[in-house]
Amino acid sequence: MSITSRSLAPTVTRRAQARLGVVLVIPVMIMVVVFFLIPLVNALYFSVVDFNGINPNPPFIGLANFERLFTDPKVWAALSNNLIWIVVGTISPMVIGLLVAMLLWSVQRGSVIYRVVFFLPYILPGVAIGIVWGWIYDPVNGLLNQILRAVGLGDLARGWLGEPDVALYAVLLTAIWAGTGFAIVIFLSALRNVDVELVDAARIDGANSPQRLWHIILPQIMPVFIMVLTLTLVGGFSVFDIIFIMTGGGPAGATDVLGTYAYSNAFQLNNIGYGTTLALLITVLSVPIAIVLNRLQRKLSLQGTSA
Amino acid sequence: MTLSTHKAQKPMLSPKKVTQTLRHVLLIVMAIVTLIPVVLVISTTLKTPADVRVNPFGLFTSFSLQNLIDAWTVGRFSDYLLNSILLTVPSTFLVVAISTMAGYTFARLPFRGRTLLFYFVVLGLLVPFFTFMIPLYFQLRSLGLLDTLPGAILVLTSTGISFGTFFMRAFFSDLPMELEQSARVDGASEWQIFTKVMLPLVGSGMGALTVFTFLANWNNFLVPLLYLPSGDFRPLTAGLYMFTGGRSLDVGPLAAGTLITILPVIVLFILLQRQVTQGFISGAIKG
Repeated sequence: MSITSRSLAPTVTRRAQARLGVVLVIPVMIMVVVFFLIPLVNALYFSVVDFNGINPNPPFIGLANFERLFTDPKVWAALSNNLIWIVVGTISPMVIGLLVAMLLWSVQRGSVIYRVVFFLPYILPGVAIGIVWGWIYDPVNGLLNQILRAVGLGDLARGWLGEPDVALYAVLLTAIWAGTGFAIVIFLSALRNVDVELVDAARIDGANSPQRLWHIILPQIMPVFIMVLTLTLVGGFSVFDIIFIMTGGGPAGATDVLGTYAYSNAFQLNNIGYGTTLALLITVLSVPIAIVLNRLQRKLSLQGTSA
Repeated sequence: MTLSTHKAQKPMLSPKKVTQTLRHVLLIVMAIVTLIPVVLVISTTLKTPADVRVNPFGLFTSFSLQNLIDAWTVGRFSDYLLNSILLTVPSTFLVVAISTMAGYTFARLPFRGRTLLFYFVVLGLLVPFFTFMIPLYFQLRSLGLLDTLPGAILVLTSTGISFGTFFMRAFFSDLPMELEQSARVDGASEWQIFTKVMLPLVGSGMGALTVFTFLANWNNFLVPLLYLPSGDFRPLTAGLYMFTGGRSLDVGPLAAGTLITILPVIVLFILLQRQVTQGFISGAIKG
């Protein structure tokens, strides 16, 4: 009797678990199918038809949008802006973030206040950030030009967002201001888990601080380092808000990235198929990088736990 | 005696103290640079309109609430604030509810095909919103959801559930197996195990997800820009953007509108700073 009930119970339990599991997962699957998978499949469809937003049966045009993509000089210009954005916009917050986190590491008094202040820009809406930095960059009354004039560097004062050569870097600086707090807080929490005895032992053995950073501290926070790298790299491909708000891709396309170029094609020029193809390019470029870095991060964290 | 000579040989400040002071000086300078833009918003908001016209960005040179009043009434920021609440509160609730249910399933309730479903959910984390935002526009239009509150709420919800499910799954996976087994021996149904035993133990996770999602949806700009085009349900972010396009010279009310947009976020962050930063950290690490 007891044997049958024991062998029966897991099956009953398993059935009950499966029943509840299916019920609990229905809402998320409906949302994923309707608001993600169907539009995603439609994105592939839009890229091979000539859709003008009205015609319910748009003509099939094959790979014409993809051919256009490879010969469009504006795509290459946008892509190179994306690359600048990714390289500068990834390295700067990570380097600044690590340095500030190292500074904060041994601070006891006021450490919470510093953390709150540094993290604050990260949670502010991009629209507000764009507006305020637009004032800072204002050619006449802007804070930046006022400071430059006050310290005798008035020659450098300019319309930061209006000149094609500097506009992208001006917006980038804003993005770095907004994003570095995230790196600081994450690195600080990783540093709190670093084995301090190892660092002290290295100091006694005569390792200087760059050596300690490179050989002792960095290896221990590597998984977190790669995770921040992944997030900022992938974010660099799909950057949109801050550029759209501050320059709209201008002046004359100088700050266009794939995101703003796709948006203006689809919603301002009514090239819906082409805009969608551009958006697909963002995915094709960013997803493999995300997967590779994620694998690497997992490998490193596993090594970390086994060591 | 020996002690005092030893002390006398030392410099006035120990090197440790010097580096510690230097550290604070550097950090304070960084903190000021970080805060300047926020201070600029507050200062410009609180100027008199006449002062804004002459000297828009000089700090705290006059005081008036006129800009706030103008933004609130003429600038329609009272409407935008209401719309932000109407969009953010339901979508945040939906994200947390749906993600908690799905996270529990993917952590604890195996059934055939579950892994495949999980891959579809995770795919949503990998593919940028950009890729399908254009087809989604036409899909919402054909469903009659374009330019409606329910439509925008559902899209905002959908942008959060992949991360939310992943996040909650990690919390449920951490709970010990013995908990549900002993509850089962006591005769609890699977539903009771979920609601009475497991849910109370992931409160911190649900709290972090709530704050995180609230901030993300409050700050979301692209969803209202694309899917609420007529402006009847425009939230603060989209309203602020439209305001810059309409009359770019009205710096005073624009500053006030910016302050109205960021103030709830800042207050929430300061009140719950531990949960917010902890939520972002564990979200990044678990994700």
